[in-house]
Amino acid sequence: MGAENTGPDTARRRDVSARVRAGLDALERLVGGLGTAVLALVALVLLLFTAAACLVGVGLPAVPYALRVLRLVADRERHRLSRPGAELPGGGPPPGSLRAAATDRGVRRELPWLVTHATLGLFLGLLGLVLPINVLRDGSFPLWWRLLPEGEATASIGFPVVRDTVGALGVSLLGVGWLVLVLFATPALARLQEVPGRRLLAPEPGGDLVLRVAELTATRAAALDAHVTELRRIERALHDGTQNRIVGVSVLLGAARRAVARDPAGADAILERAQSAAEEALAELRAVVRSILPPVLTDRSLPDALASLAATCPVPVRVDADVPGRCAASVEATAYFVVAEALTNIARHSGARRATVLVRRAGDRLLLTVTDDGHGGAGERLGSGLLGIRRRTEAHDGTLTLTSPPGGPTTVEVSLPCGS
Amino acid sequence: MRIVIAEDDALLREGLALLLRAESLDVVATTEDAATFLAAVDKYEPDVAIVDVRMPPTHTDEGIVAAVEARRRRPGLAVLVLSAYVEQAFATDLLAQGGARLGYLLKERVGRVEEFLSALHRVACGGTAIDPDVVAQLLARTRPDTRLERLSPRERDVLALMAEGLGNTAIAQRLFVTDGAVHKHIRSIFAKLDLAPTDRTDRRVAAVLHYLDDTARRS
Repeated sequence: MGAENTGPDTARRRDVSARVRAGLDALERLVGGLGTAVLALVALVLLLFTAAACLVGVGLPAVPYALRVLRLVADRERHRLSRPGAELPGGGPPPGSLRAAATDRGVRRELPWLVTHATLGLFLGLLGLVLPINVLRDGSFPLWWRLLPEGEATASIGFPVVRDTVGALGVSLLGVGWLVLVLFATPALARLQEVPGRRLLAPEPGGDLVLRVAELTATRAAALDAHVTELRRIERALHDGTQNRIVGVSVLLGAARRAVARDPAGADAILERAQSAAEEALAELRAVVRSILPPVLTDRSLPDALASLAATCPVPVRVDADVPGRCAASVEATAYFVVAEALTNIARHSGARRATVLVRRAGDRLLLTVTDDGHGGAGERLGSGLLGIRRRTEAHDGTLTLTSPPGGPTTVEVSLPCGS
Repeated sequence: MRIVIAEDDALLREGLALLLRAESLDVVATTEDAATFLAAVDKYEPDVAIVDVRMPPTHTDEGIVAAVEARRRRPGLAVLVLSAYVEQAFATDLLAQGGARLGYLLKERVGRVEEFLSALHRVACGGTAIDPDVVAQLLARTRPDTRLERLSPRERDVLALMAEGLGNTAIAQRLFVTDGAVHKHIRSIFAKLDLAPTDRTDRRVAAVLHYLDDTARRS
């Protein structure tokens, strides 16, 4: 109670004021609960009516509406019970049919809450309303009891019949009793009123794990998709690029061999072409290798890799990468390809005169920002490259934000968990 | 012999044309996609079309579709399909309607100019040219306990060359034996495999490939 450097009187005063505040707070909660309890009662009656109508075969169309009302009231109570740090998330869209409702875990937990809150909750809420009124009524009873008709002057509980001042003072003592009850019992009553809501309207234990699993399943599928797309791209690059070049070399060598005896000068020209085709094949092979995993990224660091990436971009790029330590290899590779894709888009579509790549590490996240001064209006549908990058980012639990108003500037922001 | 080439890779297209022209063959058009290829077939009425399987826009089987269409427009057009990889299942599908005037070769066979030219001529003259890889795939897929086991090693060699589409004389040259010896081997092979003997090489190729494919499927 913080009484070390103050007198015991101060401590007691604080104790009392805290008690009063707790009592008033509890009353407020009880009355608030009374509001949702009334709603719950209305919803309960509505549900019972709908159920009865279903039994005689005419209620089915009303089921979705009844369910919506149930979810609405439950969400109202969730909102009421939410405290900073302990929010009760809303139940989401209600099931649309009786069959869906029967298997909906949310509905199966909301129904018992509805019954409890519409009865016990309502009763407790009414107590919260009546108790302070009784405090005032009985406490001030000696002041006005004489105004009451003879024989009808009783305490709030209906007895005893007061006939003199002593009796009236006794009633005011009862008022003090009510006050004590308000101060000491209402917090417990308020808690009791909230128990069903906190138990039954909170997400099921493991419920957010279910959501997380669903999210992971989705991003995992997207990651595999991105992976297959990537493999297809590599296959295409090897197949249509490198392999064709080498076949070309073989064809030209065959032609040269046939020409050697007939036309040595012609054969030499063909050999010349064969050699340059072989050199092209090598260059393409290097490009493919670099597009799989850039050697500079594995041998050096992410800033070095980004610098060499910027050097090959036709638009002047300023790289500002301050990343102490290293992230997981797959995260660095993703960061690299995000920047590579962004720079490719800038060079191809943006009309920008300069671009900036900013890389920072904030806690366990790697933050990338690529900005250009082009004409903006970039969308993910324009090129599927950005979509692939988004999938790749989300597979790492990262986020990608593209801001590109018409007229520019275009900004791609990516946040990735470092994983190291 | 009038030839039209359909190949999307510029280097290969020009390399092929260079090689064929150096052999005094008449390359009347080189095209880079299915549409221009079909237009060239209509315009130049070629005898042979050399077609790449994967071409723009989807890089899947545009070449095959275009070749089938070209043959529909110009019956009797010989088609030599070139592919970066060969797939036996694809070859057997291709040969389902008979192998006359049809070839299916790996691209790099072009580099072995003599063999490529002989395959080209064979196809142009109504024969068949099947890539040795396809035949090898088929032979590898057949189970050891089939009738193929009854063939002698030399007969297996002859069978493989027969499946590629080679005629008796070509087989004899490859194996350094006489025509008569090849003839005898072939008779023996057909007897052992219970195939009806035929002297038309295109029917022979189809029969042999069909037989191999069947055995491979059953195993």
